[in-house]
This record gives sequence, C-alpha cells and structure tokens, in this order.
Amino acid sequence: MLRARSVVRSYGGRTVIDIDDVTIERGKITAIVGPNGCGKSTLLRILSFVETPSAGKLTLDEKPISTAKDRRWARSRVTLVEQKPLLFRGTVEDNLRYALSLRRTDPTKVASIVAESLDRLQALTLAKRDARQLSEGEAQLVAVARALSLKPAVLLLDEPASAADRATIGKLYGVLQAERESGTAICLASHQLEDAYRWSDDIITLAGGRIGSTTPENLFRTTIPEKTGYTTVEAGALTLHIIAESPGPATVMIPPEDIVLSTEPLRSSARNQFCGTVIKISDDGRGHITVVADCGSDLTARITSGALEELGIGVGSQVFLSVKATAVQVF
Amino acid sequence: MGFLGDALRDGLQLIFGRDPEVVGITLFSLRVALLSTVLACLIGVPIGFIVGTTRFWGKRAAITVLNTMLAFPTVVVGLIIWGLLSRNGPLGNLELLYTIWAIVIAEVLLATPIAAALTAAAVQGIDPRVRRTALTLGASGWSTHLAVAKEARYAILAAVVVAFGRVLAEVGAAMMVGGNIRHQTRTLTTAVTLATSQGNFQLAAAMGLVLLALALTVNVLLQLFQGRGDA
Repeated sequence: MLRARSVVRSYGGRTVIDIDDVTIERGKITAIVGPNGCGKSTLLRILSFVETPSAGKLTLDEKPISTAKDRRWARSRVTLVEQKPLLFRGTVEDNLRYALSLRRTDPTKVASIVAESLDRLQALTLAKRDARQLSEGEAQLVAVARALSLKPAVLLLDEPASAADRATIGKLYGVLQAERESGTAICLASHQLEDAYRWSDDIITLAGGRIGSTTPENLFRTTIPEKTGYTTVEAGALTLHIIAESPGPATVMIPPEDIVLSTEPLRSSARNQFCGTVIKISDDGRGHITVVADCGSDLTARITSGALEELGIGVGSQVFLSVKATAVQVF
Repeated sequence: MGFLGDALRDGLQLIFGRDPEVVGITLFSLRVALLSTVLACLIGVPIGFIVGTTRFWGKRAAITVLNTMLAFPTVVVGLIIWGLLSRNGPLGNLELLYTIWAIVIAEVLLATPIAAALTAAAVQGIDPRVRRTALTLGASGWSTHLAVAKEARYAILAAVVVAFGRVLAEVGAAMMVGGNIRHQTRTLTTAVTLATSQGNFQLAAAMGLVLLALALTVNVLLQLFQGRGDA
C-alpha cells in the first residue's frame, strides 16, 4: 500500500531518518515504537507527504511518488494526525467541515459525515465547542475524528492517545480496529508500548532514525519505587526483580534470549522465576524457537531447536521461566 | 499654560463648529491615507506573505532590506519622488508633482515596507502546524496559503492599521511632493506645520487634536486586532 524504501532525511548534515524499507499495509495497524527523538514523527511526516525526504523512494499503491503533483495526489489519500494536533479557529464542527471542503466532499453529505465521525469517538457533544478551548485529550480525539471523516486510504497517527485517559484510549483503539477491518492502512507512532503491542499487527522499532533489527518483546510499563538499586516492580501480572537507577514511570523489558526455560523449578541465582503454560511455539526455520508462555502475563522466550527437543515441551505444557534481575532492561 | 489652554479651547471650537478649513483638510488627509494604505497593502501584504511563507535564496537579505526600509527617512522618500516627478525628472511629463498623486506615491513607498515587513513577521509567527495540517487534510498549495493567511488575519490587519497610522502621521514627504497647497494638497500634518509657523495656533491645535483622535482610533483598532490575534 504505502512503502518507503532507502528513505533518508537529514537536517543540516545530521541524519534523523535512515530507513531501508517500511511498508504500511492495507487492513493492518502498524505501530512505530521507540524512545522520544528516535525519528517517529519525522518518519510519519515523510509518510504523509508533508515532508520530502532527502533521499529515497516512496510508493503508494505501487505508484512512485516523486513529483509535486504525485505528492498532491498522495495527500488526497493519506492523512496524518499529529501528536499535538492543530485545530483551526472556529468550532469543532467547523474544523471537520473545513477538512471535508478541502477534499471536495459533496456538500449535501457533509453534515451527516461530521456527525457520524464525531459520534464514532463519542465526541458529538464537542461539535459546537470552540476548538481552541478544548483540552489536549479532547483536541486529539477531534483531530482523529477529523482525519476519519476524510475516509483516508492510509491513516497515520502520531501518539494519538498521549493525552488520553484509559477509557478514551480504549475507545480510540476500538475505532481504529473497526477502521482497520474496513481496509484502511493504519500506522501509529507510540511510546506506550503495551498499547502498541495490544492493538497493532506489526511493530516497527525505531532507534536513532533506523529500524531496529529485532522487535522488542516482553515489554511492560511500570513505576519504579523510591527505593532504587535492587528492587521489585509490578510488570503486568508479574512481580519483577530488577536493578533500577531512578524512580518514576518506566518501561521494563525482559530480553527473550535471556530467559531460561525449564520443566522443573531451578535453584539458581536468577531472581525471577515464573511458572506458566506454553501457548505458542514458533520456528523461524534457522534454529531459533520462540516460545510464548502465559504466566499471568505473556512472556516470550527464545531458545534453540536443540533445547526445545531436549525439553520436550509443546503447547499446553507447564514450564518455568527464569531470568536474572540484572538481565531485565529498564527504560 | 494659559496660551496653550486658549489654543486648545479655540481648536475644539473649530472642530465642533465644523470649520470648513478643518473639515476639508481632514477629509483630504483621510483620502490620501486610505488610498495610500490600500495601494501599499495591495503591494506589501502579498510581498510579505511570500517572504514569510516561502523559502528562497536570499530570504534573509530580503527580510533585512524590508526591515531597513521601515526606517526609511521620509524626507529622503520625498526627495526621491520629487526628483522623479519634477519637471526635469524622468517622470516630469506626467505632471504629478504637487498633486494628490505625488503624495500618494510617496506614502505608498513609505507604507509598503511596513505592510510587507509586518505581514512577513505575522505569517512567520504562525504555527508551522497550520501549513502541515492543511496539507495533511488534502489542501492544494493555494488552499494551504489561504489557511495560513486565515490564521494570521488579525496580525495582517494590524499591519494594515500600522501602515495607515504611518501614512496619516507622515509630514516630510507630503510637504515636499504635495507642496502644502491650500484646498489641493494640504494634509493635517502639513497644515499643522504651516499654521504653527504662521502663529495660527488655534488652527494648528484643531488639526493636532483631529490627528490625535485619529491616532487614538487607529491604536484602538490595533489593540483590538492584536487582542483577537492572541486569542
């Protein structure tokens, strides 16, 4: 659907994006995850054709997008909701009407599209409100409604729920799921990794403007307690022993390669040991086996085909997962 | 103080008595100011918009030139226009010197950089997301510019008001190229200069008060637009 190949974006000699190949597919939600400043927003601006890359090729529906005319055509099919979206002066309704007028929507249908788009996000009560007086969370919701009203082929969202409460996040992702079902290609940038994991089909990890070679798994949002150093945190349904440097909200990750699988409890130095049931085993064909076990929260472990054979486990088997506190990464 | 007070009282009497001289000069001044402002803005606002919104080689230099032109001495403008329009000048055959058009040309030259520089600053101050958002919503190049202009409309209006204020209060160029001819090219400012030098303080005070009232109106309008722009 929308593909970016060998895309580079530099500002004054500093490369902020250097991507080999990214494809946003129809009927899928692709999440771009990564820390602040990793290039997510720049990549989305490039994918939405509002920023031209310094080098590289972009194609939409196999059609190369290179000229200003191509970009104009592409922008009529793609839209972007920025993290801090801008709503124009006027009411919320005016904003949706304006967007629809830019896409030359049949004027007789505008009123119903506006109402329907706002209603989908349960934001109909905001219709007559002054757009500039909305809270950040409300403005994000309205910007998503405005984008949805355009019925884009590709919908790009930059941290769409960064200012939303949990209920709104659920509502928003629910609508995005429905939009995906209807065939829209959706791509969202998020640093809320568990949401990205929960709602998306594909994950692209971005670090320093480049796509990470591996997809991070076993990620949990947590809060590091005041007592740092060797401490414990809640990670999903698990209690994790970790080494943390500073208190406050954080993301912890258990590298799948660092998990030791066993069929019996281990007596070892590993501070974290969980008992779970294998729910999925997959083979990449190159000797790496990925085992997902339900331990209250899902944990993914990577072992070798030889280890799998020796353990003799399958889906439904009970396993023990051990990991050292020092192996848990804290972001 | 008594002398000044008397002059002010007599001046007010002239204003409220609708003295034909005062009314005539005020209307002429307004005509010159409005005409010059409209022409200056028709030229200056688009220039400012282009300078403020587009990237081109020499943009910084263009902004520097515009800002320098803001401080253009009015007598120098008067001198240039006088040189161009005088009988021996390149445009002498148009016979515009000492007509309303000579004053308008000089004022346009003075007000255009104001309109352009303030418009450029106004659109440069607009959130870059305005342009981006319009583009992501599918706006064409023209619609994108329109969206930026719409967001900057109060600041652009403020630029127009400042240009109007400048033209209204200008004296040097108007005197040089207009000639301060009674019933023909006498503006409020040139009339104040002349009346003062002639010792006609009542008339000078009356014109001065009208100028102040107009300046106050202009500033109230400016505050109003700037207030809206901030909203």
